[in-house]
Amino acid sequence: MAEEVMTETPGNMWKVLVKPGDEVQAGETLFIMEVMKTEVPHAATSGGTVKAVHVTEGQEGVDAGIVAVEIE
Amino acid sequence: MLEVIKPGLETSVQDYPGRIGFWNQGFPPSGPMDSWSFRLANVLVGNEPGAAALECQFVGPTLKVQRDGVIAVTGADMQPKLDDQPVAMWESIAVRAGQTLALSFAKVGARAYIGIAGGIATTPWLGSRSTFHKAGVGGMDGHALKAGQAVPVGEAAGKPGRRVKESARPPIATDKRWTIEAVPGPNDDWIDEAGHERFLSTDWKLSSKSDRTGFRLEGPDWTFTEKAHNKTPEHGAEPSNIIDQGYPLGAINLAGQTPIILVNDGPSMGGFINPYTVPLCAFWKLGQSKPGDVYNFKAVDVDEAQAISARIRDLCTETSIE
Repeated sequence: MAEEVMTETPGNMWKVLVKPGDEVQAGETLFIMEVMKTEVPHAATSGGTVKAVHVTEGQEGVDAGIVAVEIE
Repeated sequence: MLEVIKPGLETSVQDYPGRIGFWNQGFPPSGPMDSWSFRLANVLVGNEPGAAALECQFVGPTLKVQRDGVIAVTGADMQPKLDDQPVAMWESIAVRAGQTLALSFAKVGARAYIGIAGGIATTPWLGSRSTFHKAGVGGMDGHALKAGQAVPVGEAAGKPGRRVKESARPPIATDKRWTIEAVPGPNDDWIDEAGHERFLSTDWKLSSKSDRTGFRLEGPDWTFTEKAHNKTPEHGAEPSNIIDQGYPLGAINLAGQTPIILVNDGPSMGGFINPYTVPLCAFWKLGQSKPGDVYNFKAVDVDEAQAISARIRDLCTETSIE
């Protein structure tokens, strides 16, 4: 089952915690965005293997609603 | 009443112009950052333009309507839905008890406003319902909305089926660039000529370490006049240090080399210089910009700034409704 995890807020990409090939569990934090001095963690809704990561740590001015991580 | 199902990133009760008259005691005005969109949300539903309403930041809330009423959503496009069906922004909409209003992330802009006929009826503090969370006053228990809370709403018939003319809406940038008005002073004489030219010609980038207290900017270093270097020790060690002074709202506060625009919930005094001040007429642009967006500053005088504010005020009236 494929899953696309999208950014839920505009902001900066504070931390990217996974790379392609990683095994992840449902509920595991994949990346953390920063906006208004607030950390906004983004978690996997289903477990699987990380197929692609489309964001990089430190990336600035990331839009909301873009596909950040693909899991299959 | 509105029941908070999901609070969003930081959704708070605000009114306009906020908590005015207590700056000298350290209380900022608070209030909506984009007061243009905010006032139009109120006008749409038939409220006074300054009535208490909700400010939603970056990620909006999910709210369950507990009594029939009229709402309007303005400002940033958070793709509002009523019972899973998209609803128009900049329009007043009749809602029924039991329906759910859900806002998502901000697609364009950063702050959306939800106006409710009758206004939000929390208890005012020092004359205002605006939330100032650093002191824990105003709004719902002094803080942003939390899941499970019931937001009280005043009784009013409301006016559904009204729309704000396109020409009366704030032009929210879609290209990540903004021209921000700035009035020189109060400490413009601490910056040398090269420093002023650099300030007005630079692409300043908005940091993600920005919130309703301060908007932090990234850009080149500043250079100073003689008085910033040759001063008595009580001013402090940095060129941008000065003996503690009162700050204007909107001050571009130079903390070391980092400019921070002091906004709605900002401090009223401190020991850094403020070479420029962003006038209130430009605050709506700050409120709708996102981290990574670029600011270019344009020097204006107080008269020009007040004229722009007056134009916006005139747009936040019945004349803008169709």
